[in-house]
Order: sequence, then structure tokens, then C-alpha cells
Amino acid sequence: MDQINLKEIKAISYEKAEIKKGYTDHSLRINLDESDIIINPITEKIKDKFIGGKGYDLWMMWNAVSGDTKWNDPENAICISSGPLGGTPGYPGGGKSIVTSISPLTGIPIDSNVGGYFGPYKKFSGFDVIQIDGKAKQDCIIFIDGIENKIQIFEASNLPQDSYELSNVLTHHFDEKKPVNVSVVSAGPGAEHTYFGCLNFSWWDAGRKRVRYKQAGRGGIGTVFADKKVKAVVARFGAVSMKTNNPADLDALKLVTKAHAKEINELDPKQNRMALVGTTHLIPIMNDHECLPVHNFKFGSHPESFLIGEEAYEHIFDKGFDGCWRGCAVACAHGVKDFSPFTGPYRGQKVFVDGPEYETVAGCGSSLGIFDPQTILEINFYCDAYGMDTISVGTSIAFVMECFENNQITLEHTDGMDLSFGNRFNTLELIHQMARGKGFGVIVGKGIRNMKEIFAKDFGADMAFMQDIGMESKGLEFSEYITKESLAQQGGYGLALKGPQHDEAWLIFLDMVHNFMPSFEDKAEALHWFPMFRTWFGLCGLCKLPWNDIVPEDNKDNAEPAKVVKHVGWYADFFSAVTGKKTDADGLIAMSEAVYNFQRVFNLKMGYGTREHDTIPYRAMGPVTEEEYESRQELYDGQLKDKYSLDISGMDTKAKTAALRQKREEQYELLTDAVYERRGWTNNGIPTVATVKRLGIDFPEVLEVLKKSGVE
Amino acid sequence: MIKVDEKVVQWTKNLTIAQLLKTLDDVKFCSVVRLNGKLISSPKFKTTKIPDNSKIQLLPLVAGG
Repeated sequence: MDQINLKEIKAISYEKAEIKKGYTDHSLRINLDESDIIINPITEKIKDKFIGGKGYDLWMMWNAVSGDTKWNDPENAICISSGPLGGTPGYPGGGKSIVTSISPLTGIPIDSNVGGYFGPYKKFSGFDVIQIDGKAKQDCIIFIDGIENKIQIFEASNLPQDSYELSNVLTHHFDEKKPVNVSVVSAGPGAEHTYFGCLNFSWWDAGRKRVRYKQAGRGGIGTVFADKKVKAVVARFGAVSMKTNNPADLDALKLVTKAHAKEINELDPKQNRMALVGTTHLIPIMNDHECLPVHNFKFGSHPESFLIGEEAYEHIFDKGFDGCWRGCAVACAHGVKDFSPFTGPYRGQKVFVDGPEYETVAGCGSSLGIFDPQTILEINFYCDAYGMDTISVGTSIAFVMECFENNQITLEHTDGMDLSFGNRFNTLELIHQMARGKGFGVIVGKGIRNMKEIFAKDFGADMAFMQDIGMESKGLEFSEYITKESLAQQGGYGLALKGPQHDEAWLIFLDMVHNFMPSFEDKAEALHWFPMFRTWFGLCGLCKLPWNDIVPEDNKDNAEPAKVVKHVGWYADFFSAVTGKKTDADGLIAMSEAVYNFQRVFNLKMGYGTREHDTIPYRAMGPVTEEEYESRQELYDGQLKDKYSLDISGMDTKAKTAALRQKREEQYELLTDAVYERRGWTNNGIPTVATVKRLGIDFPEVLEVLKKSGVE
Repeated sequence: MIKVDEKVVQWTKNLTIAQLLKTLDDVKFCSVVRLNGKLISSPKFKTTKIPDNSKIQLLPLVAGG
């Protein structure tokens, strides 16, 4: 590659804010319309209410956009924050960034939690949160140099097209001698041409001497990034220790960090072995419980799934430390070295693949009928390099394949490509087309909700069938779990603020296997507590995996084992030690509840956030087709007879499928009623005035949004 | 003899995982075990036989994504 060209168009030097108790108390705004670089203080009031991380992002965005703002309007902002606890070396999962924007897929705020060093480096450079708005006239790069205390905006040309090479080139460009000092946020050509572009957040892997990256995948933030003509945001910072975050009580921080890390080091090898296999252990477990999406979520298991689970990837992953933040004991960010793609621009070359994780294996493997770990690796590699979310890519292509096999679309529409389940070569070709912005891939890259409209309008496809099988809600593609037998998880997806992503609630086993929550009220309680606690990780800059993926050996003796109460206590201690604000388990929930409800009101501000937007496709509730019903006939027949007391002796499969559907749809509505009530929302899913007042988010502009919706 | 979480347990011919769990305390949340390194989930507990000299680890609650 020839030398990259960077032409400085704006630069400032700044006095770095001192970090106090996890906070810099300053934000950085980059306005690309005017190439403005603006540093503002963050008030105590905002800090108390929004905590940090996603809370700060949402507050900045709320003030940046109006209710009419679309994803590609200049005022739409991308906000990146870490949170007060983010950047604590050695604390498991202690280095996350939370990214938000108005999503091209949903039209409402999307948030994505991602590893890599950018979030901590940005904070230690003096900024709790950065906001990027406006649109650049030329491709640009933003450089935050926390060593030289300088911020620069460059016009950029002759850059590598994809994120894989761009991250590498910019890391060396900005600190040739110490690449560990650099973290790059970048997208790629897929982000330019699809609505589900992701952002790659890099770090320097000192052991392998190469750049690695993790993805802020969901909701198309990479697409917004590309639309603003930002090629990369780069942060540079030097040595980091526990003292860098200037915690209120360093000794207490050391104590809780040591305790949590020690437990993970001792128990992970006995439990999920995430330091060895990442999250691929979930493949055989989900398969055996009929929760692994196969053929667009039609089935929950497949006899060949063993080919793509931990037994395969344990031998494929490159051995070595794989923490996406310094000293993380979970260290689950595995990868594969010397992989040689058999298609695309890297065909025949040796590359490093960061991944795959469970979601990618399930979404781009089993859901597509692909049970070849090498093909999944290649899909993973190109999605990352092109800057595309593997979950939306996988779930969208699975939808296309089912439409193709049901003659809703034909070879005429797919440029002659056979898109039957299991077609590896055409799956990859579709991904290359998305990145090039050519062919049928352009349509697929618009996501399922848009595809349904296009297929119905232009290709004459059956909209009712596509509504049933198109695995999206709020416009976002489902992540990779079958929920047909877990009503609670149907709510976990449908009632999630940003759309069907499992990071708000993952209740399948508690509900389906252990029957912890038999009543609607039990499920509603779970759909209150778990989303609130999981939200807290995003406020503070943390990963949730150390909370409940490795659990204490005596956890089963606790009255509430699902909450992993011992760890919740450690997180309260962690927060208290860093910020100096003494808190407890209830205090953590209270922090989240305010931000959670604020985000719901934000959805309302954007024209959504009501009951009609909390629906899910019937495929998420039960069997759509007769084939699907008959695949688990014994189970479904039993439920109709025993649970619903129906006489099915004279019913054919079609009639039984319809009867089951009626019951399950009724159950979902009853669950929705119960959850809204528990959350303090109206029957239309809007927080009441009493709720926003109780949570202290009764700002005039919040009350005005509620009033416009008839809530006062 | 088999080892269950490092404890030695008597083995019997045709012993299944389901039968083994019935003899143990505090296993009501156990829906997945490792049998000689391989993950076995609860739907297969009744049909999975344990070979003699096996090593079994009881996994905690599955937390998912």
C-alpha cells in the first residue's frame, strides 16, 4: 500500500482534565459540519442522574436530535462513552465502550457494548464521552492524543478500504514505536452500503504483535459513521494502572478486583472454559435444548451442530491471552491465525480472524444451514473487515433463504443465485455484494423490515408469511436464540428498548428449564430486574460476562441464584471504591432504572416507544408452518391438551397450529400487560408521570414528550 | 468408580446421568454437565450412560448471552 495521505484541517491543544474518582467531568464534541472541536464540562446533576456510559450517551443524544431527526440527518450523533469504572485494569470485563446513535434500522436510539481499548484511552485522555455530529465534506480521521494533549481532524485519502487493514495501518501511523498506545475505531465498505454497519474497536495484542478488534455490532452505528464520512476515530494514551482512574479507595478497589479475578481464574476452567473456547460452549447446550436457530429459527437443533461448537473451535482457536481489556481474567476474545479465505479480496492470503463468538456461529452458521466451521470463519472475517454486524447479516440472509425456498423470491430476483439453506458460496457472494453495494446484496443490506416491503411490493411476495418468519422487531434483526418455549424470553426480546438483542434479558433457562417464574407476575418481575441490572454494566463501562457466566460454587445455595447475588455485591463494592459513593445492590438498580426509563421516553420522542412497537414475529412465539409444528408434534399436542384443555382428536395439523397460535399470542399480550404494570408504564407502554418523577427524570422536556402522547 | 466434581462416587453398570443426579444433593439447577470433557444437557440426561472411571463436572446455571 502507498503512503496514506492525512491533511490536518483542524487542531487544538487542550489541558487534560484530571481524572477524579473515575470521571473526567468533561465531554468532547466533534462537529463535522464546521470541523469544530468543543470541550464542555459535565455537571454534577447530570453525573448523578445519568452515571456515565450509556447514560451519558443518551443524554448527549437527546440534546443533539429532535423528534424528527433521521439516522442520516447531520444532527444525528454518534456518542461513545466508557463510564466511571471503565478502564480498571485487572477487573474482569473492565474496559468496555458503549456506543449510541439513531439507528438506520429502527429510527430510535441503539446502543452497543464493545471491548477494545478505545473507551478507556478516550477517558484517560480527558473525556468521559465524545459526541460526533454533522457531516464531513471529505473522508476524515479524528485523532485524540492523550499523550500530547492534542486533538486533530484530518482529511484523509489513499486509505485501505477495509477495517482489517485500516486498523493496522493507523495503529502504526499514530505510534510506530508503541502501537499498544493506540486504539482505532473504524468501519468499512459494508457500512457504507448496508443499514447494519458495525464499528470495529481495536487494541494491540502484544503477545501476537498484531492489531485485534471487537465489534460494536448492533443497529447500524457503522452506517451512521460512514455516512458522516468518518473513516476512523483514533485514541492514543500511555501506560495505564489502577491509579489512572484515580479511585476514591484504591485499597478497596484492589481487594474486590483481586477477589473477582481469583474466582474466575479458579472456576472458569471448571465451568464454561471461556478463556479457552469463548462462548462457543453455548452451541451444544442450545442445540440440546432446542434453542439453537436452525434454518431461520424454524428449528431448534440439528444433528450436525457438533461440527460448529466448542469441540471444533477449541482446536481452531489460536492459543494465547485473549482479553479485550488489560488483565481481564475471562479473556474470551479468541481468534484464528493464518486463516486463508477462499473467496473475496483476501482470497489465498493468510489473515487473522477475530472470532467467532456464539452469535456469529449460530447466525451465520446453523441459521443458514451451514455447519462448516471454516466457512463461518470466512463469513466472520469479511463481516468484520467490511464493517457489518454478523447478527443482522446472518438473520437477514436466513430470512432470504426461507423466502427463496418458499418461492417468495426466485432466481430472477437474486441475480441467479441459488439461496437455499446451506449454500456457502452464495452466502459469501451475497456478503461481498453487500460490501460492494452491488447486485441483490444491496437489497439484503437494507435489513429484514425493508426487505419485507421490497419483496411484497416489487416481487409479489406474501407479506403475511414474511411478517411471521421475518425475525425482526422494531426493525432490528433478532440475536440468535429460539424463544418458542420461553414466554419470558419472548418478552426479553419484544420488550427490549432497542429491539431484540439479548443483552437486556436472557431468561430462557430460568423460565423454560427451571420454571423459576411460573406466573405472569414472576415473569414481569424478572423482566424488570434483569434488564435493569444488565443496563448498569452499560452505565459503568463493563462487560456482563463476569457477573453470571462464571458463578460462585455456593451460588446454588442462595435464595436467588439467578441473580448471582455475591457478584452483585462485588459490583456495588467496585462502584463504591471507584466513585466514593457508597452503594448497594438496590442502589445499582436505581441507577439503571432512571436511565432505562429515559431511553423509553427517548423512543417515544422519536415517534416510537409504544405498545404497537413491542410486537414480535410469530416465529418467535411458536410454529408458523405445519412442518414446524410436526417437528415437535408431541410437545405441541401435549400443550394443547394439558395446558389449554383442548380436545384435539378431530383436528388436523393446520387446525392445531392455528389453535396453538391463538393461545400463544394471548399469552404474549398478557405478559406485556404485566411487564408494563411492573415497570410503572401505562397500558400503552409509556412511563407514567409518577414513574418519571419517582426516578427523578421529570425534566420539562421529558414531561412534554409524555404530554404529547396523552400522559400527564 | 467415577469422580463428580472431584468427589469419588460409586459406579454401577448402565448408570445414567439422570440416575446419578438423583443420588446427589443440591442439583436442582443442574441442566448441563461435562462428562469426560463433553457437554451433556438435561434433555439427554436420561439416555446418556456414564462409563466407569468417568470424570463429571456439574455446571452451574446457564446464563446465556
